[in-house]
Amino acid sequence: MGTRGRERMKQSSLSIDTLREVVRTLPKNGLTPSREAAVAHLDEHGLPTLRDEDWKYTDLSPVVDISNRWLTAGGQQQLPKPPSETIAAITSSIDAAWLVISNGTIDEQSVGALKQKGVEVSRFSDAPSEFVMSRPLADLNAALLQDGLRVRVTESIEKPIGILIVDRAGDSVAVAQSCVEIEVGSGVSADFIEYHASEGDADHYANTVLSIAVGDRADVRHVRIQNRSVRHVQTGRTSITAGREARLRMASYDLGGGLIRNDVDIDISEPGADITFDGLYLAGDGQHIDNHTRVDHRVGPATSSQEYRGILKGNCRCVWNGKAIVHKGADGTDASQANHNLLLSDKAEIDTKPELEIYADEVKCSHGTTVGQLDETALFYLRARGLDKRHATQILTHAFAADIVLRAPVAGVKDAITAIVEARLAELIEADAAADLLS
Amino acid sequence: MLEITDLKSRIGDSEILRGLSLSVKAGEVHAIMGPNGSGKSTLAQVIAGHEDYEVTGGTVTYEGHDLLELEPEERAREGIFLGFQYPVEIPGVNNAYLLKAAVNAKRKHQGLGEVDAFEFLKLAREKMAVLGMDPKFLNRGVNEGFSGGEKKRNEILQMAMLEPSLAILDETDSGLDIDALKAVAAGVNALRSPERAIILVTHYQRLLDYVQPDYVHVLSQGRIVRSGDKSLALELEERGYEWVREAANA
Amino acid sequence: MATESENLESLVNRRYEHGFITDIETDSLPPGLNEDVVRAISARKHEPPFMLEWRLQAYRQWLEMKEPKWAHVHYPKIDYNEISYFSAPKSDEDRPKSLDEVDPKLLETYDKLGIPLHERARLAGVAVDAVFDSVSVATTFKEKLSEAGVIFCSFSEAVQEYPDLVQKYLGTVVPRRDNFFAALNAAVFSDGSFVYIPKGVRCPMELSTYFRINAANTGQFERTLIIADEGSHVSYLEGCTAPMRDENQLHAAVVELIALKDAEIKYSTVQNWYPGDENGVGGIYNFVTKRGDCRGANSKISWTQVETGSAITWKYPSCLLRGDNSVGEFYSVAVANNMQQADTGTKMIHIGRNTSSTIVSKGISAGRAENAYRGLVRVMPQAHGARNHTQCDSLLIGKQCGAHTFPYMEIKNPSARVEHEATTSKISADQLFYCRQRGLSEEDAVNMIVNGFCKEVFKELPMEFAVEAQALLNVSLEGAVG
Repeated sequence: MGTRGRERMKQSSLSIDTLREVVRTLPKNGLTPSREAAVAHLDEHGLPTLRDEDWKYTDLSPVVDISNRWLTAGGQQQLPKPPSETIAAITSSIDAAWLVISNGTIDEQSVGALKQKGVEVSRFSDAPSEFVMSRPLADLNAALLQDGLRVRVTESIEKPIGILIVDRAGDSVAVAQSCVEIEVGSGVSADFIEYHASEGDADHYANTVLSIAVGDRADVRHVRIQNRSVRHVQTGRTSITAGREARLRMASYDLGGGLIRNDVDIDISEPGADITFDGLYLAGDGQHIDNHTRVDHRVGPATSSQEYRGILKGNCRCVWNGKAIVHKGADGTDASQANHNLLLSDKAEIDTKPELEIYADEVKCSHGTTVGQLDETALFYLRARGLDKRHATQILTHAFAADIVLRAPVAGVKDAITAIVEARLAELIEADAAADLLS
Repeated sequence: MLEITDLKSRIGDSEILRGLSLSVKAGEVHAIMGPNGSGKSTLAQVIAGHEDYEVTGGTVTYEGHDLLELEPEERAREGIFLGFQYPVEIPGVNNAYLLKAAVNAKRKHQGLGEVDAFEFLKLAREKMAVLGMDPKFLNRGVNEGFSGGEKKRNEILQMAMLEPSLAILDETDSGLDIDALKAVAAGVNALRSPERAIILVTHYQRLLDYVQPDYVHVLSQGRIVRSGDKSLALELEERGYEWVREAANA
Repeated sequence: MATESENLESLVNRRYEHGFITDIETDSLPPGLNEDVVRAISARKHEPPFMLEWRLQAYRQWLEMKEPKWAHVHYPKIDYNEISYFSAPKSDEDRPKSLDEVDPKLLETYDKLGIPLHERARLAGVAVDAVFDSVSVATTFKEKLSEAGVIFCSFSEAVQEYPDLVQKYLGTVVPRRDNFFAALNAAVFSDGSFVYIPKGVRCPMELSTYFRINAANTGQFERTLIIADEGSHVSYLEGCTAPMRDENQLHAAVVELIALKDAEIKYSTVQNWYPGDENGVGGIYNFVTKRGDCRGANSKISWTQVETGSAITWKYPSCLLRGDNSVGEFYSVAVANNMQQADTGTKMIHIGRNTSSTIVSKGISAGRAENAYRGLVRVMPQAHGARNHTQCDSLLIGKQCGAHTFPYMEIKNPSARVEHEATTSKISADQLFYCRQRGLSEEDAVNMIVNGFCKEVFKELPMEFAVEAQALLNVSLEGAVG
């Protein structure tokens, strides 16, 4: 992926002319004006580079490279669909009403099949959305988006709504955009599961945008599982707005992917919001996983609390940047951030940066970050009870991850996540001789 | 010593004291009892001068002067001590430092010289021994990381050092085990003298087994609804506060 | 509650005590910067050719560099051609040999600042190399130091007397082109202090320098170089204050510390430069590069700073932990009040094996000030067994100020243990009421709580400095109780 050795690399830029041509070939519909605006925005601002503070640890060269190659090849929109078994394996393991977007194309059948009381699903092409293109990569998404999904939940629902974004890169390079807008009405309780998967040998870049407007006093639980191929690239942006006394529980699991960059923005403009979001990332050889979160506390009182944990093994790099901004007048804000990392190999790198910007004084803000290894006393204790090093390592690494897995706010996904985490950890830990873990 | 007449006070929009009157003379021990939310702690805070509580009516005179005119620190220097229900933690500030600063602030106010470090430590250690406190507490941050019982003992230590004329102990007995309760009671009894008055604000009569009050008052909805001697406390213990509430409404 | 915070705000409104201007004729170069100015500075100081060459290269590099923009500070554009790059007391040609020869007016100035040179130097056993504007005018206790083999002199003198040492170490910690302000300093630095502690010597006294900025439009470009040879130990104190001035003054100093095998350097600063008035008029721009190099095994460099002054502070005293088992420390109290802006912190670069670093930062924001901690902990791939602990606390006084934390942790070795903790708090109304109920005035209560907040840092300062720092902090938060 070429994400390391970034310092000296000169970043090439996105070919806007080719992009413009490809955008022209897209069917004319309600999205046409926003696509043109997006191209103009991209033309003016370009994609972020290592010189941008928020992107200093993640080189987007692979995104530019894959996009340019795909655009030059004509920006084919009709890509080979992932086999139905792949989709079925996911949708059958987690109980939810699934909406499927594969290779950037909305699966009409899944939309038709979703018939829950209080849930309305519509397309952007019917009624275009207000695009917010000022955020990096959201403009690229808006320029190339085939169509977006809008989900409105007006009554509390029992069964989670699942959003499956699944891609397949067949023989040639591919790029897919998806955009989903969720609106949860006042006082409504709802569960969402966002699942990302990909397969195939060719280079693939997925760019996803998801927004959730949590209504006044609404109660939302959201779980994101990213289990893409380690060959593939994804950038994703999740934007949350929280209504008055809204409650949100979120958890994000990055268990696969080659180059992954997640941006989570949470905007608290109404008092009383109560938000927790947790994350887990597991990285092995060749992976680069970057989580950037930002919470804007514009009014108080409100609570936001986040904890991300990472396990790094092999030649990989992870980035965590949590930012909490307490704006003037946001008295009664309680914001906390935590990031804990297990570094299990010589070639792994973690760059972690918890940031607080505080402009109000009636606040409680804190952050804690640690980077370290497994507790040697605990390892010794287990070995003294007769476990071998590898097994002891596995148990403790699992325990480190388990805290976050157990916090998945939607009960029905815990088993599925546990299964992936276990398989992935076993792969990571057995990847090389367990003995060197203690050296 | 303390004369409260028709005192009315509110915090924010909610009226808490609604015409409370109380007279306390030197040498007396008064117990103020009452259900949660009856205004017991508010009374203590108003006497100490907490700015969150607005006095909307009535008068409070202390030693013949208008108490409500004074800043909190002036009241303290005049000999009013409030034992806090929730003693505040002040990280990094040495317990001994605060204690010495407080003792000297009062001495200065009385026109006396500052107490020297040696004298101060000697006195503090004596008082701590009586209260069963480890001298190490002097070197820790004010209430920082103290257990509930330790905080309350620390309040009593401060009281013992400051030798107030009027001590108000706000639920000092709550959350204490029997040993701590006895230590606190011993501290209070040691302070009893014909020149001093003590107001015990308490929910239960447990403390009153160890500190015998001269008067017991029952507070309900911001007023004193019954006053009597210590037998009133026992009656309350037996019959509960419901009985008072009914009496108040009757 | 509203009245409480108003009171608090008025508490922090204080006046700068050291606002006066000394009326001494100065021998200055006209404002402006070009190669001729660099040559003129070098010529006036009778520098050997290597110094001139070094300065010229720095100047050329500086021309190609851009002023950094990333810090959380805002100020009008600086016109580098409006600054005069050299000013020295007129007595430069005939420098005083002892305090008795020093211009009495100068001594009076120090007295006003509360630094009675004779008294202080003698009583406290401190050697003072006082920098007035840009040139050293008085040095004491030289004999006692030279008995021990310690070199403590002005930078200019070191260039004349110890050119080999200067040439060997100058710019080896902060290279000429390290950053915009360091390059500017390298081109035009006027003077500063030079310290060399020979092998195995424990410096017999604390070394100290007082900086002042005086003449109008005079940029200050001090340069300090401290070398602790193998097994040696030195504690260096730096304290500053500046007269009141309406025009912003740029100060771009460079401090380089080098600790060889088993050596230890403790560098303490109390900085109280003019911060500007309540409306942000005037004040010093303090853009300083301070870096220590733990070059040898088991070496230790410790930075302690109490920063209460300057309109803008941009300062990151750092440690390069090159030697195995080397130790870096950073203890900081930064107060920003009124319109002050501070972006300060440290960098700990772990390179050797089993290196460790400790960071304790206490930021206090009041008025409309902006106070940011920015720190980097980097563990290089070869830095096996690195340890870092960072504690970063902010205290807010009032509703108009900002407190920010930007810690960067870049960890490339799996045996590293890095911990970072940060908290934000205010002086709570409950704490104030509690103290007042015990008879303390509001002002005393605030001072007590603030000093308690800073305790971990103050205990790292040499005793007499700690007292001064505490007093300074109280002055900084002084004012009428409303």
